[in-house]
Amino acid sequence: MSDPIPPGTLDMLILQTLARLEELHGFEIADAIQGASAGVLQVEEGSLYPALQRMLMKGWLSAEWGKTRDNRRARYYRLTAAGRKQLAREKESYRRVTFAIGQILQPAPE
Amino acid sequence: MTMIREMLRRLSYLLRREHYLSELEEEMRLHTALRAEAMRDGGMSAEQASAEARRRFGNTTKVTEASRDMWGLGRLDQIGQDVRFATRRLRARPGLSGPVIVVLALGIGATTAVFSAVDAAMLRSLPFPREHELVSLTNAAVPFGPESNERDQGRGLDLADVADMTNIFSGAAAYASGGVNLSDPDRPLRVKAGVVTATFFPTLGVTPFSGRTFTVEEGRPNGPLAVILSHALWQRQYGGSPMLGKRIMLHGRSYTVVGVMQPGFDFPDESDLWIPMSVPTTFATFEPFRGFLPSRVIARVRPGVSIQAAAGQVLARWRQVAEPARGEERDNLNLFLDEVRAAGAAVPLHRELLGDRRRALLVLLGATVLLMMIACANVANLLVSDAAVRRREIAVREVLGATRPRVVRQLLAESVLLALAGGIVGIILAPAALTIVRAMMPAGLAGVARAQLDLRVLGFAAVLAIATSVLFGLWPAIGATRGDASAAIKSGGGHGATPGLGRVRRALVVVEVALTVMLLIAAGLMLRSFQRLMAENTGMNPDQVATLETSFPRNTPDSDRRRIINGVVDRLSGQPGIVAAGAVNDLPLRGGGGISVTIDVPGAPPLERGEYRMARFLFASGGYFDALGITKLRGRTFTTNDATGPPVAVVSNAMAETYWPGLDPLGRYFTLRGDTSRITVVGIVADVREAGLDKAPFPQMYRPIDVGPLNAAVVVRGTLPPRTLISRLTDAMRAVAPGQPVYNVRMMEQVIGASVLPRRTNTMLIALVAGLALMLSALGVYAVVAYAVAQRTRELGIRAALGASGRDLLTLVSGETVFVVGLGITIGLAGAWALSRVLASLLYEVDPRDPATFVIVPLVLLLPAVAATVIPALRAARVDPTQVMRSD
Repeated sequence: MSDPIPPGTLDMLILQTLARLEELHGFEIADAIQGASAGVLQVEEGSLYPALQRMLMKGWLSAEWGKTRDNRRARYYRLTAAGRKQLAREKESYRRVTFAIGQILQPAPE
Repeated sequence: MTMIREMLRRLSYLLRREHYLSELEEEMRLHTALRAEAMRDGGMSAEQASAEARRRFGNTTKVTEASRDMWGLGRLDQIGQDVRFATRRLRARPGLSGPVIVVLALGIGATTAVFSAVDAAMLRSLPFPREHELVSLTNAAVPFGPESNERDQGRGLDLADVADMTNIFSGAAAYASGGVNLSDPDRPLRVKAGVVTATFFPTLGVTPFSGRTFTVEEGRPNGPLAVILSHALWQRQYGGSPMLGKRIMLHGRSYTVVGVMQPGFDFPDESDLWIPMSVPTTFATFEPFRGFLPSRVIARVRPGVSIQAAAGQVLARWRQVAEPARGEERDNLNLFLDEVRAAGAAVPLHRELLGDRRRALLVLLGATVLLMMIACANVANLLVSDAAVRRREIAVREVLGATRPRVVRQLLAESVLLALAGGIVGIILAPAALTIVRAMMPAGLAGVARAQLDLRVLGFAAVLAIATSVLFGLWPAIGATRGDASAAIKSGGGHGATPGLGRVRRALVVVEVALTVMLLIAAGLMLRSFQRLMAENTGMNPDQVATLETSFPRNTPDSDRRRIINGVVDRLSGQPGIVAAGAVNDLPLRGGGGISVTIDVPGAPPLERGEYRMARFLFASGGYFDALGITKLRGRTFTTNDATGPPVAVVSNAMAETYWPGLDPLGRYFTLRGDTSRITVVGIVADVREAGLDKAPFPQMYRPIDVGPLNAAVVVRGTLPPRTLISRLTDAMRAVAPGQPVYNVRMMEQVIGASVLPRRTNTMLIALVAGLALMLSALGVYAVVAYAVAQRTRELGIRAALGASGRDLLTLVSGETVFVVGLGITIGLAGAWALSRVLASLLYEVDPRDPATFVIVPLVLLLPAVAATVIPALRAARVDPTQVMRSD
């Protein structure tokens, strides 16, 4: 069974996906997140779009209309320089938080 | 930088919302389509696949909305939404927004105009550096004497004494203002001259634009004749060309231009130029100005010295000065001293210039504020009734999930919008109102305080509009959102029972009626005063009388002046359509001082100490009395023989009765103090009000005008239309003396009109304000009764069905009016009674508790109140029971 993604991490996942795969449209992003997490993480697909719009507004992403392989119009998203910086920031803070949580969850020393 | 880019991006999304929305929808459509295809490829049926794709995508509407929110401008966007919504609603209900905007516009327009006058006259400081240090010294004189520096004991404290008090004053000066002829080769011109001591500009702390101010030499008797131009005159008359060192002719004498003042400076009394007042003053100083100008002594207190402390020291000095005086002089000084004590020895200059117009302005402001309050009560009334009607709509919206703050915010947006619309219309109305109010500005502040609409006044209007809207918009808004939504929905119809709001509305109308009664009483009293004033016997008949004034340069020989004056009068007298023509040196009610002299009457009873026999001293031609319509009581007026014969005088009735009580003055004589020639009384004429319509006439005496005065007014009575009469007058003047400048060419009625203009304006404005208040209150009463009728339609219908006659229903409904109006009138009358003293000083021979006014005003109010009741009540009486029963 797949788990819903933890709150607040959707932005980071989208940024990371785009960092890895360069240029994707919405459907591909949803699939990529699911695939990369080996099916563990499942996005409620609709929620991707408000997140994409927000990141567009912030200037982390740029978008351009293009054609899919079977020649359908789709909006392709790319990371901007600001988006790359944001990803680094988010990863860093994520690492710190998970490290801290890991410390807390470690079995107490004998 | 990134912030700005983000804002721009958001703005472009805001502007092209539809475009981005369709892009988003296309994108999402593609997503579900691709998902469905993937599912089908996985082996699902087409139907299952698309259902599963939709399930995995989630609620499309919600996603769209969430995405759209991302574009938004946050709070700003919500406000925009509220405003758009409010605009739509208000446009849909012109029956509510129309009256609210009109009522607010009237209130705000009137209040703004009056406020700008009050602001200019009272709130703003004078345009001089550290103006709070400037004081006016009550009764302080400018030393007068041919050349002697000896104290004129009879005049008390003078400018030199004030200037000597260097421990409290850093400077002292005197000034006066009057009209003078500026002879220009191209066109002779009448200009306003400030006559000022050399210390005047330094004391005020103002510096010239170019050149210099007066030197000590120029401020001495017989000093060099120097003139300083105002920036405006310099531009207007000389085109801004270099004038320093050039000479101009004033009153026939050559003055050297030594300076030009800063743009905008024209104190006192909108001066066009300034000439020196010598200290001590001589006859020459005031010679261009009918020999006399009232002057004012001012001083600047040293920093750190309070005006009270300065006043105390000046008063002490007054006593010292009065100490050595004896006899008649002592009595005289004591009179001065009493006035000084009463008014304060040193008064802030600003307050002194404001003078007696202060109270009139404040009363007008008070009246306008009352009007504004009535307007607000009315608006509140309209909004409360609207809120009551909307309770159901609001309740429905709350049930559908609108949060209360959101609903309140939307209602507030509506009232702010209304207030702004009202405010804008009000500001458009304000300049027109201000033109009228300007007539009430104190003369002393002419040129110094200009009443105009500026940022400060607009700010006031904005605050007024917003305060009104928040106060009277928020409250009904909160009232409407309070309470049980389900009850409001269940209660049916728009007129859900809201007894609380009904009570509020009734209270508002009671307040409106009470305030209106107070305003109407003020207006009634002032109208009666004005009526009394205008009905006052002026002693003359101003109908069909034209006048002009002229002044001769000092170097015009007496014979020339005589020739011109008599020439014009003679020329006019013979013409058809002219009934009478004459001349006088000083026209009644023209404003400005006159000459009074002390006379001695042989055989008259001895006087108390400190008493004098004074009389106004006028020069007139024989035709003057007929021309102005002054009734000849006994004896004769002047003939041509009087110019050469023994001295004669025509005296006024008051003079005859005061100085020859019980005797026949005809043939008796009197002398001028300090002169031995006997002047025989040859005629008695009616008293003429000359200082003001509200001033009882002083004893007056006329001497033949053949002395050839420096100033003269020609008066002509005719049967011709005013315009023709006036052109006859100016033509005659031009024919006799082509280059002679004339001014104040007008009908005598205009002269009288101008003399009562401030009072007329004040009366008219208060009456106007009261009239508006009456209108608004009638509207308020109507609204309350109509609301009550609407609310009780069902009840009235049942009563009608049970046999109540139309008349019964009418009685029932008008009970509402009787209560509201009755209570309002009672409170209003009590308020007016209590506040009667405020008005007393503005009234003329009318008791501020004038019984007639207090009886008539409630009747005036009753009429529109009855109309406001009968209209909705008739509707109630016509209620059709069957329809009412069916309607719910």
